[in-house]
Amino acid sequence: MVEFRKASEKDLQSLVELNTRLKRLNEEFDPLLRVRTDIAEKSMEYFSEALRSPNSLVVVAEDAGKVVGFIKADIRERIFYEPRMEGNIVEFYLLPEYRRKGVGATLLDYTIKLLKEKAEIITAEFPTLNEIAVEFYTKLGFRGITSVYARESP
Amino acid sequence: MNSVVEELDRSSKAAVKAAPYYGGKLEIVPKIPVRSLDDFAVWYTPGVAAVCKAITENRDLSFEYTWRWNTIAVVTNGTRVLGLGNIGPEAAMPVMEGKSLIFKFLGGVDAFPLCLNVKEPDKFVEVVKALEPGLGGVNLEDISSPECFYILDRLRKEMSIPVWHDDQLGTAAATLAGLFNALKLTGRKLDRSRIVLLGAGAANIATARLLEKAGADMSRMILVDTRGILHAEREDMDELMLKNPWKYELGLKTNREKRRGDVTEALREADVLIAASRPGPGVLKKEWIRSMAENPVVFLLANPVPEMWPWEAKEAGAAVVATGRSDFPNQVNNSLVFPAVFRGVLDVRARTITDTMVLQAAWALANYVSEEKLTPDHIIPTMQDWEVYVHVAAAVAEKASEEGVARNPMTYEEELVNARNVIERSRKILISLMDLKLIKPFPQVD
Repeated sequence: MVEFRKASEKDLQSLVELNTRLKRLNEEFDPLLRVRTDIAEKSMEYFSEALRSPNSLVVVAEDAGKVVGFIKADIRERIFYEPRMEGNIVEFYLLPEYRRKGVGATLLDYTIKLLKEKAEIITAEFPTLNEIAVEFYTKLGFRGITSVYARESP
Repeated sequence: MNSVVEELDRSSKAAVKAAPYYGGKLEIVPKIPVRSLDDFAVWYTPGVAAVCKAITENRDLSFEYTWRWNTIAVVTNGTRVLGLGNIGPEAAMPVMEGKSLIFKFLGGVDAFPLCLNVKEPDKFVEVVKALEPGLGGVNLEDISSPECFYILDRLRKEMSIPVWHDDQLGTAAATLAGLFNALKLTGRKLDRSRIVLLGAGAANIATARLLEKAGADMSRMILVDTRGILHAEREDMDELMLKNPWKYELGLKTNREKRRGDVTEALREADVLIAASRPGPGVLKKEWIRSMAENPVVFLLANPVPEMWPWEAKEAGAAVVATGRSDFPNQVNNSLVFPAVFRGVLDVRARTITDTMVLQAAWALANYVSEEKLTPDHIIPTMQDWEVYVHVAAAVAEKASEEGVARNPMTYEEELVNARNVIERSRKILISLMDLKLIKPFPQVD
C-alpha cells in the first residue's frame, strides 16, 4: 500500500537519488537538459533548503518504508496577476514500478490539498518535450499557461 | 575448436566463389504453359482483362487468380544483418536470397527478396503496407532492434496479411519447441520454472514475450543484458522507457525479487538458461552452470560459436543442452519454423499470424518428437525430416481456421495433404532443373 506524507530530514538521501533519476529522465527527453556532474551534491543542498523553507513543500510517496516517489512545490506570489498566490509544482517523480497505477494522480491530489492551504492557483512545470507529463496533466484538467523557449547557440 | 573455424572458412570460400558463378540464387520461372505466342492473348492482352474485371468485383479473388496466394516478400533495410551489423540493403541481398531459397525449398513458398533503402521506422512501415495488394504475406528480416519491435507490432496490426519477423518469432518458436520437450524430460512445469534469458535483443525479447503467452511465471524470469540483470530499479530504466519500451516492460514484469548483479547472480538456482547473446566460447563458465538448479536446461544459441561448448555445459551438469549448430545434437533452428508456418498460413489465406498460432507451431514442432524418440539429445526434430514441415503447416492452418482468421479455412488433414503436395512439387522442380543441367553443377572450390 502506497502512503503519502510530507517529507522530513530522514528522506533526504532518497530525495537526492530520486531527483537524480528525474533529471536523467529529463535529459532523455531533451539534450538541452544535460545533467551536471555535481547533481548529487546540488540536490542535497536543494532539498535541505526546501525542507527548511516555509515557502516550499516536499511530499513523498512511500511503500513499506521505502520512498518511491516525490513532489516538490513552491508557494510564491504572482506580482502582476490574480489570483496572487501560486502553488508551483516543480519536481515530480515516481519509480517505474509505480507508474500507470494511479499513484501519480493520488500523489498530485495529496500535494494540491496541502498547497491549497496557502495557494489559489496550482501550476506545474516540466520539460516541454516530456509528452508523458503533457498527457498526465492534460488528463487532469491542466492546460498551458506560459512557455519557455530555448536556443542553444546565441 | 579448429574444425569449426575450418568449416566456416570453407563455407565462406565456397559462397564467395559461387556468388558470381551463378549470379545470384533465384530467378523467376513461369508456371503456366506457353504452347505458342498465341497463348499470350490469354496470359496477357486481351484475355487478361477479363480476369482483372473479375478481381475488381471481388478483391479476394486475387488470392485465387494470381500468384499472390503463395507469394511473400522477404523484406529488410539491412540495418542488422547476421553478425555484420548495419551493412545496408545492397549487402543484405545475399542473405535475403538465401532466406527466400529456404522458404521455397522447405516450405514451397514463393518468396522473393526485397531490400529497401528506408531506415526510418514509420516510413518503413508505410512502404511495407503499400505492398499488401500483391502479397500473401511478409517476412521481415535483419532489421535492428528495438526498431524491429515497433515495426512488427505496427505491421501485424495494420496489414491484413500475415507478417512475421523471423529473428523474433522464428527463434522464439524454435526455442520454445525445444524447451517444452526439455522441461518434460527434466520433470519440470513451465509455470514453476526459473528461467534466465542471457541477451536481450530481438531473439530473447521475443522469446520472453512468447513464454509469457505460454504461461511462464514472469515474476521469476530474469533477463540479463550487457549491463547485467534487468530489474525495475536499474538506473537505465527511464532511458529504456523511451528508447526500448519492450525491454522496459520486461524490466517491470520480470525479476520480482529484484536480484541485482551479473549473469552469475542470475543463474543461481535457475532451472533454465536460454543464451542468445554473443558468440563464444568463454561467454559462459562451467561454475556458473554448476550453480544452477539440479539437472538444468541450457540453450546456447549464439552463432556461429555458442556461448560455451555444449560438452562443457554437460560436464558442468546440464541435463539437456541445445545450440544453433547442426553439428551438435538439438539444433534450435528457425528453418524448422518459418517455411512451415508460412506454408500453413498461405494455404488458408490467413489475415494475420496470432501469438497463439506461433505457440501452436512451437507445440507442433515439440510434439512431432514422439515419446519413444524423446531423449536429452533429441528434443527437437532435425531439419532432414521432410514430414516435420508438413505437420507444422497443418497445425498452424488448423489454428488459423479455428481462430477465424482464415479466408479459406481447412482441416488439419486437408492441409497435411495440400502442404505435402506443394512442398514436394517445389523440390521436384529444383531437382529437375539440376538434372537437366539448366542449373549448373556446383563449382569446384579448392
